[in-house]
Amino acid sequence: MIKLEHVNKTFGNHQALTDLNVTFNAHETTAIVGPSGSGKSTLLRSLNLLERPESGLYHFNDQVIDFSHPLASKDVLSIRRKTGMVFQDYNLFPHLSVVKNVMEGPVQVLKQQPDAARQTAMDLLDKVGLADKADAYPGQLSGGQQQRVAIARSLAMDPEFILLDEPTSALDPELEAGVLRVLLALAQENDSMIVVTHNMEFARAVADKIIFVEDGRILFDGTPSDFFTKPNQRIADFLAAMTFTTISDKAK
Amino acid sequence: MDSIWHIIITSAPQIAVAGLKYTIPIAIISFALGLILAILTALVKLSPKRGWFSIVRAIAYFYVWLFRSTPLLVQLFIVYFGLPYLKIQGIWPNGIQLDPWTAGIATFSLNTGAYCAETIRAAILSIPQGQWEAAYSIGMTKPQVLKRIILPQAARVSLPPLSNSFISLMKDTSLAASITIVEIFEVSQQIAAENYQPLVMYTEAAAFYAILCSLLSWLQGYLEKRTSRYLRPLN
Repeated sequence: MIKLEHVNKTFGNHQALTDLNVTFNAHETTAIVGPSGSGKSTLLRSLNLLERPESGLYHFNDQVIDFSHPLASKDVLSIRRKTGMVFQDYNLFPHLSVVKNVMEGPVQVLKQQPDAARQTAMDLLDKVGLADKADAYPGQLSGGQQQRVAIARSLAMDPEFILLDEPTSALDPELEAGVLRVLLALAQENDSMIVVTHNMEFARAVADKIIFVEDGRILFDGTPSDFFTKPNQRIADFLAAMTFTTISDKAK
Repeated sequence: MDSIWHIIITSAPQIAVAGLKYTIPIAIISFALGLILAILTALVKLSPKRGWFSIVRAIAYFYVWLFRSTPLLVQLFIVYFGLPYLKIQGIWPNGIQLDPWTAGIATFSLNTGAYCAETIRAAILSIPQGQWEAAYSIGMTKPQVLKRIILPQAARVSLPPLSNSFISLMKDTSLAASITIVEIFEVSQQIAAENYQPLVMYTEAAAFYAILCSLLSWLQGYLEKRTSRYLRPLN
């Protein structure tokens, strides 16, 4: 379980996260939604410690990090091993083949034997439907394929939580569907996932819990059914702003 | 008067030996040492300002400034002819006396290291921030990220400008003639003084440098191809 208490993060004069309190349960998929610049990504990146909030507490199971003190690198590395990160623009290592991308963490960080790591990597690539691309380089793959490799790379560390930062925002709808199907399968295996997304249909399909963030504050924290069927005015406006068919529907 | 071809054929072995004994080893050793120095300097210049490390950073900045702001020939003279007069009671009572070989390699290394440091710093900065983040996010330490992810990619980016520096250095070793090293240019001067054929001798020396630099250009092309394999699309 991950729990943030009274977390604050500023970028210069901009308050990105304001006294934020939130809990993410294990074996659940949590979707973080909200308008651009609301602090969703900052929240997610703080969980992997790619961002360092200035104050607040971060509980990861029994481990507690107090952001108001300098972080020990031991704590940082331990949290990062437990939280796999998937980025909007994949960030695969272009100089390493697909299978080496997936093996890099297990071999370098977990000190696994290369043979064993390769076997695990191949199984994971098979899971995301890319076993045949093992020896290709990332630059030879489509965006959707690269993102599926990135998902395999994060799974290879066997993280307790998988953090996904707008994993399909850079993809064409067709390629997006391939990535979302992989994530849906993970959600159905009860992996613990936290995904920042603009895709409401996907949030509705996979999320056990929805968090709506705006101006660095959490305005909604509850079930998808409450979020989509009984939204308050602000959420209703947000959802409406994403659709055209409520305004104009030529198929009607 | 001997024919031009006769002059070239009789002097070429001496010049080739000078190249093999001095020019090539000095260039290779100086570039290798300079490269190590450059990587360290680049990493120091890129490191965050923190505590006592600010002093190390200041030294790195000063070093690059000093060697890029003064002429290489003057640097050679200071190190070889000047340092023997740096007499400090208790430490160097007789000044710092370096043999020509050491003085030459030290100066060439420091000089090329200053330029290469900037090349490598730029190459590291050219690697997208996302590469650092992705590597950090799987729990790698900073040395691991540098060694496994950033420097291999930066090496490819820095190959063309580093080749420039190596090629420059190969030609700049001719300045070692001024500190009594009998490399290619020094030998050609000595022969020209005997046979009164400066045009032939210096053109011949130039040709030897051109051959060496052409080999380096070829090596650059080969390495670029090798390190860019991952950029080529399928088929």
